[in-house]
Amino acid sequence: MTTKKYLESLFCPGSVAVVGATESPGKLGGIVLTNLLGVKGRLYPVNPAYREVMGLRAYASIREIPGAVDLSIIIRPAAEVPELLRQHAGKARFALIVSAGFAEVGEAALQEELVKAGRESGVRLVGPNCLGIYNPRHRLDTMFLPHACLKRPGKGNVAIVSQSGAIMICLLETIGRSGTGVSKVFNYGNAADIDAPEVYDYLAEDAETSVVVSYLESIGDGRKFIGAARRLADKKRLIVLRAGKGAGGQAAAFSHTGRLAGRYEVFHSILREYGIMEAPDYDSLMDAAKALSFQSISTGKRLCIITNGGGSGVLASDECMKHGLELVPLPEKSSCELRSVFPPFYAIKNPIDLTGQVRTDDYRVALRAVRDHYDGFVVIALTGVAGVTVGLADILKEFRAESGKPVAVHIAQGGIAPRLCGLLEKAKIPVYPSPERAVRGMAVLLGNGGQKHD
Amino acid sequence: MDIRQKVRQFLSSTSGGKLIFEHESKQFLRELGAGAPKGVFVPRGDPLPSAVDELRYPLVAKVASSRLSSKSDAGGIKLNISNREELLRAVAGLMQIEHAEGVLAEEMVPPGFEVIVGGALDADFGPIVMYGLGGIFVEVFQDISFALAPVDEKQALWLINETKGKQILRGVRGRPPLDVNALARIIGIVSQLITTGFFEEIDLNPVVLFPDKAVVLDAKIKIR
Repeated sequence: MTTKKYLESLFCPGSVAVVGATESPGKLGGIVLTNLLGVKGRLYPVNPAYREVMGLRAYASIREIPGAVDLSIIIRPAAEVPELLRQHAGKARFALIVSAGFAEVGEAALQEELVKAGRESGVRLVGPNCLGIYNPRHRLDTMFLPHACLKRPGKGNVAIVSQSGAIMICLLETIGRSGTGVSKVFNYGNAADIDAPEVYDYLAEDAETSVVVSYLESIGDGRKFIGAARRLADKKRLIVLRAGKGAGGQAAAFSHTGRLAGRYEVFHSILREYGIMEAPDYDSLMDAAKALSFQSISTGKRLCIITNGGGSGVLASDECMKHGLELVPLPEKSSCELRSVFPPFYAIKNPIDLTGQVRTDDYRVALRAVRDHYDGFVVIALTGVAGVTVGLADILKEFRAESGKPVAVHIAQGGIAPRLCGLLEKAKIPVYPSPERAVRGMAVLLGNGGQKHD
Repeated sequence: MDIRQKVRQFLSSTSGGKLIFEHESKQFLRELGAGAPKGVFVPRGDPLPSAVDELRYPLVAKVASSRLSSKSDAGGIKLNISNREELLRAVAGLMQIEHAEGVLAEEMVPPGFEVIVGGALDADFGPIVMYGLGGIFVEVFQDISFALAPVDEKQALWLINETKGKQILRGVRGRPPLDVNALARIIGIVSQLITTGFFEEIDLNPVVLFPDKAVVLDAKIKIR
């Protein structure tokens, strides 16, 4: 069976069991069950102490559930888990082990026992020590986080594959705020069995996913990882953030290759070798994810900046050089056209500076005049001046529709800024809190994908 | 003969321990197509072999020992040897070094641009090949890059171009361009050797680049 088909019943299970489900809303077993009440599929609480949990019939053990179970979520003390898992033989396809207390705290033997129990029972494992899966389209949510504490982002095209649960929560928060949504979210914790490469292969074929954001601490079998990452990057936009970069940046004296093996630099080089996009830090990861979830990758490197603040334009220009983007001068025809309609104190060059006396419609005029001569546009609007209105959102939306070219925006200062940001992101135009980050977002959209980040 | 067979044959002929003698490593690399200085090995206790007379002065003499990790730290390298008499004196002196098992006398290579080529077994990725600027640059700039081994010549050229030093190799400020293709060939050879699984580490440091050749000046190859 292909990975795609096989893992489909993990991400979209027809039946879900919760081993350790309780009524108590304060306990993990209660939170997980609450979050799963809407799941598309049958839901079976398993707990020998109850006959009914949250209005659902409870089962004393997994074996008593009628029929097969696609996904069993286990929330019991670590020591009990291997034995519980053995009861899953012939009953469940996947077991997602939420429980902590395995290799991450030095209990390597217990984890080995768990893996053995899984293998002998024919059950594939997620975790242990993980939050598991969130798939909004299937209303599958195995995360032990109450909705009051973590607002889930809606449906979208961004998949998250994160080794760390904490980082996954941060990513969900950021994605929710940025107006993007998620397709599949996967936190695999100790990766005792199912690891990132297997999920990459699944996501490569997943129609709902177009961008994959992946946070890694260890990579296991590097060749397997690179193979799957390449297959995924062929079909979707994959952005990797690797933690544990170590002391590489320091002047650690070395003279031979052996001492370098296993270092972050090896990973970094090999990712570059195969053209896999790597984000240098968390913000860049999120900035790239936002840009790619809104707009598709385009080609070319000629960039035009349109700003109403000189300094912001200069900072944006500086950033362009780092990413190989070219601020080619305006063509003579565009310059003449703009000079004839704009006041003499506007700067008619690249960046085009509409100054503090800007009126919203000037952005439309400027964009139209340069539209055919550039590959991408960074628009900077400082809302502290009276002339910038929320009408800018419609102007940029229309421009995107008629030009089909990528646009990234930097909005700063108060007043209408939050409203304008909201409208722009609804129109799938990424907004960034600094001029440099807007340029980095554009660099990703123009295909050099962080490859020049050094 | 494929590379694994060549390695097997080579390993059956080596005389030292885990760390292969420099002259044996260089001889093997030469057979595989890498440039290395012409040299003669003088075993401990033996007189100077007649082959020494075929070497062109000036020479360099290096102590050979499978138990010394750094020849230069032990004072085990004598440079600028200009005649037979000086050579005899240098060899006699080097044989006094503790654990000395012989001396390698070889033709001295004029100064050139130094780079490093290495192969290692990475915990995550298995066999990898490394390239970087050598000499003082490796310590200060750490201008190095890695690739999965083996690499073909095109990938080796990619690896070379990954470092900032590529501009020096292309020739800056009127300096002639250096022999990048010979370097790529050496990178390819190291990547093939490390991929055979017979070696734990290969360290060619430095490889000296000239406009018309690349010469392996020192070679440390450790058997797995």
